[in-house]
Amino acid sequence: MQVDIQQLKKGEVNLGTSIMAVQFDGGVVVGADSRTTMGSYIANRVTDKLTHIHDRIYCCRSGSAADTQAIADHVHRYCQMVSQQGDAPSVHTAATVFQKLCYENKDALSAGIIVGGWDKEVGPSVYNIPLGGGLFRQPWAIGGSGSTYVYGYCDATYQEGWGRDETVNFVKNTLALAMSRDGSSGGTIRMCVITEDGVERLFIPGNELPRFWEGKDVLSASERTPVPEPMAVEV
Amino acid sequence: MAPPQSHSEQPMQRHFNPYSENGGTILAIAGADFSVIAGDTRQTEGFNIQTRYAPKVFRLSVHLRVFYSFRYSGITDKAVLAVNGFAADGNMFVKKVKQRLEWYRHAHAKDMPLRAIARLIQTMLYAQRFFPYYVYNILGGIEDDGSGAVYSFDPVGSYERETCRAAGAAQSLVQPFLDNQIYFKNQQPLPGVAGGYPVHLPLERVLSLVTDSFTSATERHIEVGDGLEVYVVLAKNHSPQRLEALSGAHVREVTSHTDGERVFVIQQDLKKD
Amino acid sequence: MVGDSFYKGAGFDFSNHIRNTYLQEKGLPLPKATSTGTTIVGCLYKDGVVLGADTRATEGNIVADKNCEKIHYISDNIRCCGAGTAADTEFTTALISSQMELHALSTGRTPRVVTAMTMLKQMLFKYQGHIGAALVLGGVDTTGAHLFTVAPHGSTDKLPYVTMGSGSLAAMAVFESSWRPNMERQEALNLVVTAISAGIFNDLGSGSNVDACVITKDHTETLRNYRRPNERAQKENTYKFRRGTTAWTKESVRSFVVDETTTPMAPPVTVGGDAMDIS
Repeated sequence: MQVDIQQLKKGEVNLGTSIMAVQFDGGVVVGADSRTTMGSYIANRVTDKLTHIHDRIYCCRSGSAADTQAIADHVHRYCQMVSQQGDAPSVHTAATVFQKLCYENKDALSAGIIVGGWDKEVGPSVYNIPLGGGLFRQPWAIGGSGSTYVYGYCDATYQEGWGRDETVNFVKNTLALAMSRDGSSGGTIRMCVITEDGVERLFIPGNELPRFWEGKDVLSASERTPVPEPMAVEV
Repeated sequence: MAPPQSHSEQPMQRHFNPYSENGGTILAIAGADFSVIAGDTRQTEGFNIQTRYAPKVFRLSVHLRVFYSFRYSGITDKAVLAVNGFAADGNMFVKKVKQRLEWYRHAHAKDMPLRAIARLIQTMLYAQRFFPYYVYNILGGIEDDGSGAVYSFDPVGSYERETCRAAGAAQSLVQPFLDNQIYFKNQQPLPGVAGGYPVHLPLERVLSLVTDSFTSATERHIEVGDGLEVYVVLAKNHSPQRLEALSGAHVREVTSHTDGERVFVIQQDLKKD
Repeated sequence: MVGDSFYKGAGFDFSNHIRNTYLQEKGLPLPKATSTGTTIVGCLYKDGVVLGADTRATEGNIVADKNCEKIHYISDNIRCCGAGTAADTEFTTALISSQMELHALSTGRTPRVVTAMTMLKQMLFKYQGHIGAALVLGGVDTTGAHLFTVAPHGSTDKLPYVTMGSGSLAAMAVFESSWRPNMERQEALNLVVTAISAGIFNDLGSGSNVDACVITKDHTETLRNYRRPNERAQKENTYKFRRGTTAWTKESVRSFVVDETTTPMAPPVTVGGDAMDIS
C-alpha cells in the first residue's frame, strides 16, 4: 500500500517553502523565506517560519502550516518540561521528539522540519527530519519546495571551517536563489544566528535581497543596438 | 514542498470544459397587444462579477440601420430575444440568428414573422444537439395578427408559446411568483364573478411585476443585480402614452421605422452587492 | 437498564460520514450547510484593534440571511469574526467563549488573546479540518493588542491587518494599498469599512451591511450595522391577498370553549383546637 503522505488536504494552508540551517564553528545559522500560500493566494507574506523551541534551539518548518505548528508547539512544551526538571534539553533531544512525532504519525502529517541549535554537550548541530520521519545530523540542511533548485549551489559552495559572517552570507545567498526560482517561496529572508551567547535575529526585506543573474533586458535592447560581432569562422 | 504526482481518491478532470455559467436572469411577459422582455445586466463567474453591464436582451435587427435610410422597412421591430446561460454562446447565438434574419430578408424582401423566427431558433438549436449552445432563450414580440407573444426554448430547441416565462439563475424564485400573479395560480376567484380572472394584464401592471421580480430576485440570489434592462414591444395600434409617463426609470424609444411596431428600452438600477 | 449509547465514547460520531459518502456515490447529494461566504477583516491601530464583517449568509447561490451577525463574543476584551460553515463558526466560538470564561474565573485574571487563539487552533487541529471555521481573532489584554487568523486546519498567523473568507482578496487589496501603522481610531474604522465594502460589492458571497467592533484597553464598542449601503428598494405593488384566496378541501369548525359548571363544596368542618393553623 502506498501511503499518501505528501498530499495536502483540500484548502490547507501550505508552507511551500525555502528553509535552511548551517552549522559553523561557534553556532548555527537557521534561515527561511516568509511566504505562506493557499493555492495561488499568498495568505501571509511576512511569515516567521523560524520557530522558537527552547533558549538555544530553533526549528524551520515546511509543509502544512497547521501540522508543523502543532508539532512545534508540542516539542516546545516538552522542552519546557525537561528544562524545569534539570538542564536545558540538547538539540538532539528536541530533534528526537520531532522525529518521533513525524514518524509515528506519518500518514496524517505533511511536515518537513529542520532543527538547529547549540547545546553544551556537542556545541552547534543541525538535524534534518524529512517527510517520512527520518532523523539525520548534517553540517548543513536545506528543505521545502525551493530547496530542489539550490542543492547544486550548496554542494559547490559549502566549506568547513567558516565563521559566522561567511555562514550568514551562504544562507542568505542560497535562500535568495531558491526564492527567485520557486514560485511558492518568496517575500523576505529571516535568519537566526544561534550561539552559546544567545540568539540574534536577522531580517532582509524583499527589496534588499542578494541579486544574481536575472536575464538580459531584451525589449530595450534596441536603444543600445549592440554591434553584432562577426561570426567566428574556422578555417 | 511540491506534492509529487500520486494517486488520489478524488476524480480528476482531464478534459477542457468548454462551458461556463454566467448567472443572471431573464424574463418575458406577453400582453394582449404588447410584449415585455427583461433581463438583469450582471455577468458572473463563480463568486466574481465579470461585468456589471452585459446586456442579455437584444433586438433582432439594428446593425443595418447605419447603412440604410431611416424609412428602410426591412428592419424588424417586432422581435426581441433574451439569452441566458453561457454568455459566449449566447452572444454568438444572437449574432447567428440576426444573420439568418438578414438572409431571409434579402431572399424574400420581407421580415420573418415571429412564429417563423421561433421555429428558426428551434432548428438552429437542434442543429447543435450533441454540442449544444449552453443557453436558455426567450423570444418576445408581436405576431402577425398583432398579439403579444412569448416563446421559450431549452438549450436543444424544445419550445413553446406562453404568456410568461422566467429563465436563468433565479428562475426558481421568479417563475412561481409569475404563475401566481399572472396565471393566478393558487388563487381562488371571487365567488360570483363570471370568467374568473383577466387573460391579459395591462402594461403598467406587467411592468411593475417585472420590476418587483428583479428587485426581489436581487435580494435573494447572489448572481442577480447591478442593472435591469426592460424591452417593451408595442403593437402598431397600441398607444405608448402611458409608457412615457413612467416615473423614476429611464425610458428610451429605439424604434427603427415609423409605421410599424414600436420598441422602448427602460433601464433601472438594481442593488450592486 | 442502561442503553447502548452509555458505552459509546465521548465526542463527535463520524459513522454517518461513511453512510453519507455511500449515498453520495449513489447520486444523492448531501444537504448544503449554510455557509457564510464572507468578508471578515481585522486591523491594528494606535489604541487597539478594529474588527469588521459583512452580514450575508448564503446556501449555495441563495441568500439565506440578509443581516446575520458574524462578529462573535469571546470575552469582554476579545471578539472573533467567523467565515466558513455558519454552524461551525457559531459553535466553536461559543465553546471557546465558555472555556475562556471558566479560565478567567479560575485564574482570576482577564483572559489573553493568545489563550483563545491556542484553544481555537488546538480544537480545529484535533478535528483535522472537518470543522470548517476560518476565523479572525482580535482583542486587547495586559500584553497589548493582538490580531490573529485561524484557518480551518488549525494554523494561525499573527499580522497587523488580516482578512478571511471569500471576499478576503478584495478586502486585502484595500489593506495592502492603504494600511499604515499607528492610525487613529476613525481612520482605522474607515479603512475597515472600505475593506468590507470591497468584499460586499465585488464578492458575490458577501453582501448587505457592515458590522464593526472597536476594542481598546478598557472599552469594547460593538457597531452593529455601522453602514447600511444596501437597503431594499420600495416594492411597486402590494401583495396582500384577499380573504378567501386560498382554496381548501375540507372545512371543520370546532368550539374550544368547554362548558363548565361550578358546584360549591361544603366548607371544611372545624373540630376544636386540632385544626391546622394555616393562616
